[in-house]
Amino acid sequence: MYAIKEAVIAKEHSETPLDITIFNMDIRTYGKEFEKYYERAKQEHNIRFLRSKVYGIEEIDTTGNLNVKYANIAGEIKEEEFDIVVLSVGLKPESSAVSLAERIGISLNKYNFCETTPFYPVHTSKPGIYVCGAFQGPKDIPETVMEASSAAAHSSALLSSVRGSLVTDEKEYPKERVVIGEPPRIGVFICHCGINIGGVLDIASLKQFVKSLPNVVFTDDNLYTCSSDTQGIIKEMIDEHSINRVVVASCSPRTHEPLFQETIREAGLNPYLFEMVNIRDQCSWVHMDEPELATKKAKDLIDMAISKARLLVPLKMVSLTTTPVGLVIGGGIAGMVSALNLAQQGFEVNLLEKGMSLGGLAKKVYTTLNGEDVQQYVKDLTKSVTDHPLVNVYTRVKILESEGYIGNFTTKITSGSKKDIIEIKHGTVIIATGAEEYKPEEYFCKKSRNVTTLLDLESDIAKKSKRIANVKNVVMINCVGSRDEERPYCSRVCCSQSIKCALNLKTQNPEVNIYILYRDIRTYGFSEDYYRQAREEGIIFIQYEPENPPDVKMDKIQGKEVLTVQLKDPVLGQDFIIDADIVALAAGTIPLKTNKDLSQMFKVPLNGDGFFLEAHMKLRPVDFATDGVFVCGLAHNPKSISETIVQANAAASRASIILSKEIVELEGTVSIVNKNKCSGCGLCEAVCAFKAITIDPEENVAVINEALCKGCGACVASCRGGAIDLYGFSNKQIFSMLKTI
Amino acid sequence: METNENEIRLTVKKLFDEDKIDILIGYSPGTLPLRTSPVFLRKEDDVEVLVWNSFCENTLSNYLKNYKDKRVGIVAKGCDSRLINLLLLESQVKKENLVVIGVPCRGVIDRKKIDKITGGMEVTGSEEKEDGILIFFDGTDKKVTKADILHDSCMICNYKNAVSSDIFIGEKEKEEKVDPYNKIREMEENSTDERWNYFNKEIEKCIRCYACRNVCPMCYCQECFVDCTDPEWFGKTAEIKDTKMFHIVRAYHMAGRCVDCGACVKACPMDVDLRFLTKKIEKDVLEFFAYEAGVKDDEPPPFTTFKPEDPQEFIR
Amino acid sequence: MEDNKAEWEPKIVAFLCNWCSYAGADLAGVSRIQYPPNTRTIRVPCSGRVNPLFILKALQNGADGVLVSGCHPGDCHYLSGNYVARRKFAILKSLLKYIGIEEERVQFSWVSAAEGGKFAEVVNEVTKGVRRIGKATKLVKEIYNGN
Repeated sequence: MYAIKEAVIAKEHSETPLDITIFNMDIRTYGKEFEKYYERAKQEHNIRFLRSKVYGIEEIDTTGNLNVKYANIAGEIKEEEFDIVVLSVGLKPESSAVSLAERIGISLNKYNFCETTPFYPVHTSKPGIYVCGAFQGPKDIPETVMEASSAAAHSSALLSSVRGSLVTDEKEYPKERVVIGEPPRIGVFICHCGINIGGVLDIASLKQFVKSLPNVVFTDDNLYTCSSDTQGIIKEMIDEHSINRVVVASCSPRTHEPLFQETIREAGLNPYLFEMVNIRDQCSWVHMDEPELATKKAKDLIDMAISKARLLVPLKMVSLTTTPVGLVIGGGIAGMVSALNLAQQGFEVNLLEKGMSLGGLAKKVYTTLNGEDVQQYVKDLTKSVTDHPLVNVYTRVKILESEGYIGNFTTKITSGSKKDIIEIKHGTVIIATGAEEYKPEEYFCKKSRNVTTLLDLESDIAKKSKRIANVKNVVMINCVGSRDEERPYCSRVCCSQSIKCALNLKTQNPEVNIYILYRDIRTYGFSEDYYRQAREEGIIFIQYEPENPPDVKMDKIQGKEVLTVQLKDPVLGQDFIIDADIVALAAGTIPLKTNKDLSQMFKVPLNGDGFFLEAHMKLRPVDFATDGVFVCGLAHNPKSISETIVQANAAASRASIILSKEIVELEGTVSIVNKNKCSGCGLCEAVCAFKAITIDPEENVAVINEALCKGCGACVASCRGGAIDLYGFSNKQIFSMLKTI
Repeated sequence: METNENEIRLTVKKLFDEDKIDILIGYSPGTLPLRTSPVFLRKEDDVEVLVWNSFCENTLSNYLKNYKDKRVGIVAKGCDSRLINLLLLESQVKKENLVVIGVPCRGVIDRKKIDKITGGMEVTGSEEKEDGILIFFDGTDKKVTKADILHDSCMICNYKNAVSSDIFIGEKEKEEKVDPYNKIREMEENSTDERWNYFNKEIEKCIRCYACRNVCPMCYCQECFVDCTDPEWFGKTAEIKDTKMFHIVRAYHMAGRCVDCGACVKACPMDVDLRFLTKKIEKDVLEFFAYEAGVKDDEPPPFTTFKPEDPQEFIR
Repeated sequence: MEDNKAEWEPKIVAFLCNWCSYAGADLAGVSRIQYPPNTRTIRVPCSGRVNPLFILKALQNGADGVLVSGCHPGDCHYLSGNYVARRKFAILKSLLKYIGIEEERVQFSWVSAAEGGKFAEVVNEVTKGVRRIGKATKLVKEIYNGN
């Protein structure tokens, strides 16, 4: 995947057209949305993928170019010339991590990564020490972030009894001065930042200029405006000159605005009566050789800020009290793990399951790839959850409706055969509704009893069922219902699952011939060991391309059903016919149809495939744009049990941040609707990524939910009628800045 | 067209008799030749006043905003039906309050083109024929083929039939797809100066009467940006620099919302080439976002949505 | 008076989104990457906040150029603000070109918080472009005394 990304970026950024070839064995685009990226790389960016083995690279004396020698899939030896060769290299643990592990006494695996087990993927061998990120094993950013949150979840559970005990007393601010109705009285503080600003800009001339501007009642320059004694001066001057708007010309508001807002708040001013001008990072530092023009720019910037400051109004910060109760939807492994962790952290949790009992899809899974007992794990987990006094389990649940926002949701459900409506008040929601196995239409799966899916085969193996007792030839076909036009994503776990089934079957019946027909084997990370083991045990892997999928024929000979599988072997270049006793299909993982209802109910999006779409694919893998709602498990994307456990704890960790606070304070910079100007056209509602806007059906006007509004202003900029404005960045304020041009 | 006229009357009568609508928006004969006038019928009114002919140039959907809480029947040609779809998408009318009587349309007559033929002489009468129009003026008569006197919009119209309707009257007009953007492409080929000069020449004519805005069904803002004083988006003077802004923003606000019904140019007393701007936007919206305004009643308008692969060659 | 033209310094209004481009501009500063002092920044929460009317107003008020810069597609702090904005900007940019406004006058960029170098380069290029086409007059309303 990394190679594909670099190739695409290189193509996009190169001034001359690039021809890029990626020499590869298996393409492992198993991450969320990766398969689509791979397809685009092939089709739109014309990156050439060559399944091959490179055995040598030589420099060509005359040109300095590189000659790449390789064997293609048919075994032919070829060579090709390139300007640059980039190697995709693997990851290994840092030596310092290895020595750290020794010092603190945690076990490493044979590759020197930190050892963990499938059901405890962030637990090291030593209780109380957790691991996350690439030290646990090679992985991508989202998995790393999830593991980090997961490790935090376990730590929080251990520390829950002392939560908040080191927090010092809450700060109290003086009563806010009422400034509405007063003419603007602006105080301007210009910072020298040592010599950072003063060494380039002419501060005296800036000061002179500022003094000449209307409404400025006080101007000062400070060596460091951010120093604590200057904070004292600012507060004194606010008092002395009845300043009601403060402008600081110094560095970046991104780093220092909160400090100055705090200062004026301490002086009794609403923190939004503040405006900052960046005359350092975006002026003195970048125009060092042009002090005069830089000073002129600084004057303009200050002029703009003062123009805006005249129009600043106090904003109210919305404070919401929160209900410290969690809601988890879905009683599979993901839901149970989330609920259990929240409970262990000391929060009451409601766990909703639509079926009769807890366990979810895992009830059909018997072992992990390395042979651990999933059924036992599910049993133990179910017991821990049902026994925990803080977890309320509801089964046969129907969710009727849900309303509210971060900290304050109300969800109505029915449970069991009773018709009574149960109303649950909760502060967060974790969506852990899982997914299901695709029921293939292909390969006579619905017609022949000897064509089965992997989940059913796994159950047969675990139960030593008659169907598989005397089989001689078993064919497994991978990527059934995945990576195709209808479902253009990789189901991530099927490769490992077919290898797991093959190995287990081989253990039971060493005589059996197993053929795995695959497109790419995606046994990422340490699962690769089992791929190797499978080949060593004589399991035969045959690659196929989607254009030439295996052909399965079903005949009846003397009343007995006979299955034959025909496939072109790309290595031998000829057709291959196998009489199969069992054909097992690695059926893809597909999203639940009911995801749509939940998506609408909780105002969270689905991706094109129908899985829930997180707030940020890399950095916020369990969050949604809608605050207070989280996702984990198969509802998010196909993944292994270990990955599900990690993500479930991560979701619990994220939710606990909200549940542990009594009050959530929201920014005052939110949108506001002028009802008289609104025509109710719905454009604002459509562009709001946070579903903060609804159209009141009675009045046909837009209504903003301030608790959901993030203040991005997309609605404001979209409104033709000028009916919406944004506090803190109003149309009028921006216009006043433009007026100074 | 006459048979359609009768069928419209019968249909409307039936709608009133069955108490399906409170009001009907349609066309009635005008007081002068070559003209019709919008008519607003109630149950007690005579449906015989309804006409349907080549002079039905008004964009009737503009009147829907006056009857928001009534059950309205409306005679809708292709452009009007697209506008109704847009108004539905933008929640300006309620589907359950609306009966759309779709009609096939061969385009409407541009009286300014007839003026040219008569040399400005007053037309005293007219007769609609299958393949043209017989006009009487200066004591004589002259037959003109329709293609010569159609409105510019109608000449490049690709939706001659109502795209969606509750009742469709008559037989569907055959729709041969034409390229509506030839003129725009020619203009795009011109040099920057030529384009700027043309823009100036057209905008200079504008007297800011806002007739273009007022006849546009899609201009329904409670307060137009140009009337707003807080903030004052742009000056209200007839100074050309302000007028230019008015027209740029008006065109921009029509993005994905203009069906080229031609109401604005028909209403313009100064003959400003307003379609020069709106048609360009229409073309861009189609080329950039593959969207044609109002053709489907469930396709999100271009500014309400986005695609990750939207064009961005213009962004550094 | 004749020297005035040589002394003319273009004024370019730059709408920078708080989370990416403004941060990218800050990074250019931290890295001390030098670029022309012709931009006048208006910090906005998101490129999606930029109503195309702001751009027109800036031009009418005498800005010689306008730059709008936001997060790269997919990186928007508000998820889709830049996508929503991109459609509007595409239409506006094309319309302005069509009526005969020089393309250099109004420009757009994606600059991430990590791209201090790119920010400086963008300002360089935009300033160069605006210098090439000269002082804005076409849409400027007030007589602007240009010093």
